[in-house]
Amino acid sequence: MQKFQEWFENRHEYAKEWKQRTGGKVIGYFCTYVPEEILYAAGVLPVRILGSHEPQDVTEPHIFGMFCPFCRDCLAQGLKGRFDYLDGITIAQSCLHIRQAYTSWDLHRPREFSYYLPMPHHVQSKRAYPFLRSELAAFKEAVEKWTGKTISDADLDRGIEIMNTSRRLMREVYELRKRENPPLTGLEAMYLVLSGQMVDKREHNAYLEQKLKELSERQPDRQTGERLMILGSEDDDTAFMAMAESLGTTFVVDDHCTGSRYFWNRVEPQEDRLMAIAARYIDRPACPTKDWPERSRLPHILKLAKEWNVQGAIVMQQKFCDPHELDIPAIRKYLEENGVPTLFLEFDVTVPIGQFRIRVEAFLEMLRQEDLF
Amino acid sequence: MALAREPQRKEYWRWTEYNWRNPDLDWRRAKTITAGVDVGSVSSQAVIMCDGELYAFANMRTGSDSPTSAQRAMDWAMENTGMTLKDVHFTVGTGYGRVNVPFANKAITEIACHARGGNFMYGPTVRTILDMGGQDCKAIHCDEKGKVTSFLMNDKCAAGTGRGMEVFADLLGVSIEDVGELSLQVAEEPEPVSSTCVVFAKTEATGLLRAGWPREKVLAAYCSAMAHRVVSLLERNGVEPDFAITGGIAKNVGVVSRIEKELGIKALKPRYDTQLAGAIGAALFGKALVEKGRR
Repeated sequence: MQKFQEWFENRHEYAKEWKQRTGGKVIGYFCTYVPEEILYAAGVLPVRILGSHEPQDVTEPHIFGMFCPFCRDCLAQGLKGRFDYLDGITIAQSCLHIRQAYTSWDLHRPREFSYYLPMPHHVQSKRAYPFLRSELAAFKEAVEKWTGKTISDADLDRGIEIMNTSRRLMREVYELRKRENPPLTGLEAMYLVLSGQMVDKREHNAYLEQKLKELSERQPDRQTGERLMILGSEDDDTAFMAMAESLGTTFVVDDHCTGSRYFWNRVEPQEDRLMAIAARYIDRPACPTKDWPERSRLPHILKLAKEWNVQGAIVMQQKFCDPHELDIPAIRKYLEENGVPTLFLEFDVTVPIGQFRIRVEAFLEMLRQEDLF
Repeated sequence: MALAREPQRKEYWRWTEYNWRNPDLDWRRAKTITAGVDVGSVSSQAVIMCDGELYAFANMRTGSDSPTSAQRAMDWAMENTGMTLKDVHFTVGTGYGRVNVPFANKAITEIACHARGGNFMYGPTVRTILDMGGQDCKAIHCDEKGKVTSFLMNDKCAAGTGRGMEVFADLLGVSIEDVGELSLQVAEEPEPVSSTCVVFAKTEATGLLRAGWPREKVLAAYCSAMAHRVVSLLERNGVEPDFAITGGIAKNVGVVSRIEKELGIKALKPRYDTQLAGAIGAALFGKALVEKGRR
């Protein structure tokens, strides 16, 4: 499992080395609605742009302080030149904050290729499928023009196969977490999914495929404790996960775009490849920017909570993340009504470990029902 | 001519540190002696209980070092009792420094301890406890046994906390113990000052003093800001009677009466020093754990 953490922590070295090794192009993407199938079909390596969780002072002139810490942290990486090896950047429409990070990056650190993909918001409309299909066609064309190579149906099939294999493998790992004593911690699962967003999926898949059996036979060297779920906005806060799990609990499932939302559903084959890809992104577990008027996330989250047998849920959001902020009261109410206690936390670039520790500890004391009375 | 130096001025924020012992109890006859040590961000309390009855305590300021603060509070509580740490069957640490109480057998969060201590101090009817601590506030719901059913804490900011009140006592040259009474001596309630940040509130108050506001009016504006802030915290979590306040600010009648007015309900009258709630809860948990071990 160490490998996944190493990949995550050395993501820049990995990408630079990949470029050298393959001579290929690397593109940074800001949102998981970007269809990686098309990028893999084009032989381009997509890497997700994430922050570094360090205090920074470079974004203030470009983006509001009350935009979410995640998008500011991402932009800081660009302004500091940490991603200077990227040949391109791209985003699919999700929220305005991250779009601002993208446009500001584009302005101040222009790359050879930049693409804004207007992913529709109203994914609950049937018209979203043909809309996204035609946007994907335009995206494919732009990528072809950039790389100078035509993307054939066979290429798309290969791209779909790479992505679907990754999704299948991650689902298999998550299945193992249903066990009474999950063979991996929430922190390890986080490293696993995050590294998959940064490493060539073919390499990641091959490694994961080979490790899956070992993982399945692994005996955890710690008590599972309370089974928790964590859900909310983008979350790559490994320091928080480590702190919480050090209190004798285990995260067994999540609903994050850095977690299960990223890989949950697959592309179902259709003759029209672009339509098949479009359908996958329209039908995936929604980001709250797109989960309207019906809140489809509610039953999905509860299903995860029940199937993974969780005793409580940590509901988090990046500070100032309006879409999540709007959903959270409904989610908490729904979970509580269905017997899942929740704890709400607001994340920032750096997490105040001491202040969060007491909240998590008190939440666990509540769940533990220890006989102290 | 040499510059004249001002004499050491009074530390207005400094609240009274003290210890106490129950003259009617003999600890040597007790079956179970437990201690609760609450090392908070501003104050530390050590409470010793004999068979669930309050025997002795000390209430003092927290120093820069948690283990030393815990030790000093405990030593002061045991002063002149003949008791030593060896006589204590179980000690629970709580508060920010809960894991740094060197002689504690277990650490439990101050959220759980305040609920349990609140239950002891105010009786089993209390359902909502507002703990107004040195550097944070907590709105806690509990059941008839004092078990937490839900809680909400303020974010990382000292406004609405004891530390903020200390800043104001110092700014206005009013002893912290007199702030509450004085803030009520206004004919008309002024608009509250900024409630989001102590530093902003202080800047605002300095401006008000320059504009000629009397001290009591500025204090009224600050107490009212503090009440606003904690009431919004309480309302986010809902207020179910009976309602009680713990922590140092519970001694400030200026804040308490304004909270009561905004909520439209009265807080239960305290029978103990409200700063002791966490340590009392911790000592009671200690007792439960000892008894559980004997069973």
